Amino acid sequence: MTSSKTDKKSNALWRFFSSVKLTIVLLIILAIASIIGTLIPQQGQGAVQFAKSLSPRWFSFLSNLNLFDMYHSLWFRLLLGGLGLNLIICSVDRFSGAWKRFSTIPRPDRTKPFEHLQPEQTFFVQTKINDPVLSIGRFLQKRYKRTQNKETGHDRFFYGEKGGYSHFGVYLIHLSVLIILIGGLVGSFFGFEAYVNILEGGKIDTVTLRKGMSPLKLGFEVSCDKFTVDFYKNGAPKEYRSDLTFFINGKEVEKRSALVNHPIQFKGVTFYQASYGKLPGKKVRLKIAKHANKDDITTLVIEPGHPVQLPEKEGQLIVVDVKGDLMGLGAAVQVLIQPSQGEEVDFWVFQNPQIVRKRLPAPMARSPKFNASEFKPYTFFLDHLESAYYTGLQVNKDPGVNIVWIGCFMMVAGFFVTFFTSHRKIWVRLSEEESGTKISVAGTASKNPVGFQRELENLTNDLKDTFSEKG
Amino acid sequence: MINSLILSYITFVYFGSFMLYLFMMVNGRDIFGRLATIVTAVGFAVQTIAIVLRWLESYSLGIGHAPFSNLYESLIFFAWTVILLYLIMEWRTKSRTFGAFVTPLAFLALAYASFSPNVRSHIQPLIPALKSNWLISHVITCFFGYAAFGLSFGISIMYLLKRLDNDDRKNLFLKLIPGKGVLDELNYQMVVIGFLMLTLGIITGSVWAHSAWGTYWSWDPKETWSLITWLIYASVLHSRTVRGWKGKKIAILCFIGFSCVLFTYFGVNYLAGLHSYAKS
Ligand code: HEM
Repeated sequence: MTSSKTDKKSNALWRFFSSVKLTIVLLIILAIASIIGTLIPQQGQGAVQFAKSLSPRWFSFLSNLNLFDMYHSLWFRLLLGGLGLNLIICSVDRFSGAWKRFSTIPRPDRTKPFEHLQPEQTFFVQTKINDPVLSIGRFLQKRYKRTQNKETGHDRFFYGEKGGYSHFGVYLIHLSVLIILIGGLVGSFFGFEAYVNILEGGKIDTVTLRKGMSPLKLGFEVSCDKFTVDFYKNGAPKEYRSDLTFFINGKEVEKRSALVNHPIQFKGVTFYQASYGKLPGKKVRLKIAKHANKDDITTLVIEPGHPVQLPEKEGQLIVVDVKGDLMGLGAAVQVLIQPSQGEEVDFWVFQNPQIVRKRLPAPMARSPKFNASEFKPYTFFLDHLESAYYTGLQVNKDPGVNIVWIGCFMMVAGFFVTFFTSHRKIWVRLSEEESGTKISVAGTASKNPVGFQRELENLTNDLKDTFSEKG
Repeated sequence: MINSLILSYITFVYFGSFMLYLFMMVNGRDIFGRLATIVTAVGFAVQTIAIVLRWLESYSLGIGHAPFSNLYESLIFFAWTVILLYLIMEWRTKSRTFGAFVTPLAFLALAYASFSPNVRSHIQPLIPALKSNWLISHVITCFFGYAAFGLSFGISIMYLLKRLDNDDRKNLFLKLIPGKGVLDELNYQMVVIGFLMLTLGIITGSVWAHSAWGTYWSWDPKETWSLITWLIYASVLHSRTVRGWKGKKIAILCFIGFSCVLFTYFGVNYLAGLHSYAKS
């Protein structure tokens, strides 16, 4: 056993990874790397803009180092892995020491702790103490664990201790760091981050992954039955919610509502209310007039994509596209007409044709694509665009979250054990002298010497009291 | 709003206590120290009342929320925690010399909050993402952490000054600063409290982010900077506990650590991110 241990100790690699110097270096490198990561925009819009502003040389240099997506890069993960390895090996290396400090019980008759005693820690009892094991032993047993006593010559010694588990606090902390790292890894391997917009009344089965913007099939369908938003008096949104229904193979399975700060889960996938917006196009109200005769107006309420018959059955009309604002000229719909005889025609109908005439150069304004009278003999007017809300949902799956929470909990527990408990050892010595018995109290603590000194003084006073009661 | 008015006056109160602590250090008369403690404690009591008033006022405006939701309120709370921790430390150590190094932090934070044109003091309604009890725990723990690091920063400066002191030098100011051993030990305790609180702050922040944005960690600059701060203080603890570093090196590391705290707090506003303080 011992020989393999010394082998280990002399192994250079082992020594390297068990060194706390390495820890400090790694922590500082990670800090510096993270600083760089906050200076260079990561992923997304900002990163693209920043990248465009660089010279090609710099761009390829930075992107070869993965500096635009640093936190997911191999080298950053290697640094974290190095820290993990450092932690494991360091903990293994030192655990036996901590175990010894925890489990070894010192001899009760040690005299060293009694050197340099404060005067308050000693007192005198005028009588011979008859049964010290009963009185003092009991007294210590009530407050300390693993009490022992021993008689040597004229002296009788008692020993007691508590808080030995304090030595394991740092292991709890270090284990928790590992667990959090593992939780992060599990999330990045087995989870995803995506988003989707669902129109009120709409249904989806695919979301868009943030990474690479590629589509991902969920394996079930989600519809947004209703979206509601409340506002403060100043117009800022106060609360918004989406009433969602989940379907498997077309069958309704569950109905839930997602609110800001109240995400919902379905089959391990979490839906967060992230944003919302308004899209035109739920319903379109078109007015159709026969050319010369303005009195002869028909109103049609149309859902985009659904063909409707023209008033005198000359063919059918489909609204193929709806724009809340087309080229800065206001709301418009694109109408496709499939006559029973003749060619298909399609053109845009604006809500406000005057603007089009004013803003567009004349040749363009006269183009057939912008002519609402293109299908003779009718003229089309866009009367009203009913807009629909869409709900913006963040769709995530992270099977590592709970592991991370467990790690966090352990870390906090570990801090309390490490910083607020200490291994306290107490010795009490009774020395018989001619005129009575001298009692001294001594001790050591692994942490917080000031607090421990107070504890020793209290202990001495309480002991004194037990004897004065009897006397 | 009466609360902001009171809070702006508190700025001068803390400035007054700073001056009194300074007088005490310069001429060694204890009376200034005792006065300083009284002024600080009164300022603290009034500040507490003002914060509660602000809280009540937000309810009477119909947008009730705890007063920890924008830059102004966080600065006020920072000053409050600095003074609270300081008063506890003064009481525990029975030494007033720290006052001259710590009260400026509170006074500067209040001055910035009350008089900078960049900081708006109105009570604003909360956007939905900020309506969460996790937010309250997040802000409270973070700011206790920042305050503890602030105190550690003050103590580090004292340490570096105390190194200039020696027997030949008859400088009363330096003589009055407690011994290097005491400072080092106190500094360690502050770092421990700060580290614990910052850890809790990062954890509660993650829980909050998880509920509001769907990820517990998104490497947003503010998050990342709090991690950087955390890493620096983790290395402070290791270099002290394991490598036995003491004194000057630790003081310098604490200096760097507190600069990171300040950057997390203010500097990050110049980098883009999710945190709403950046915009208020
Ligand atoms: C981010 C990662 C880490 C964190 C948050 C962390 C945290 C801590 C804390 C809070 C302490 C207690 C310090 C004190 O008592 O003042 C500690 C002690 C210690 N850490 Fe770490 N640590 C980390 C990584 C590591 C690594 C990688 C090693 C590997 C060498 C290591 C080795 C130690 C040792 C040897 C101690 C002293 C244990 C003792 O007092 O017996 N730590 N750590």
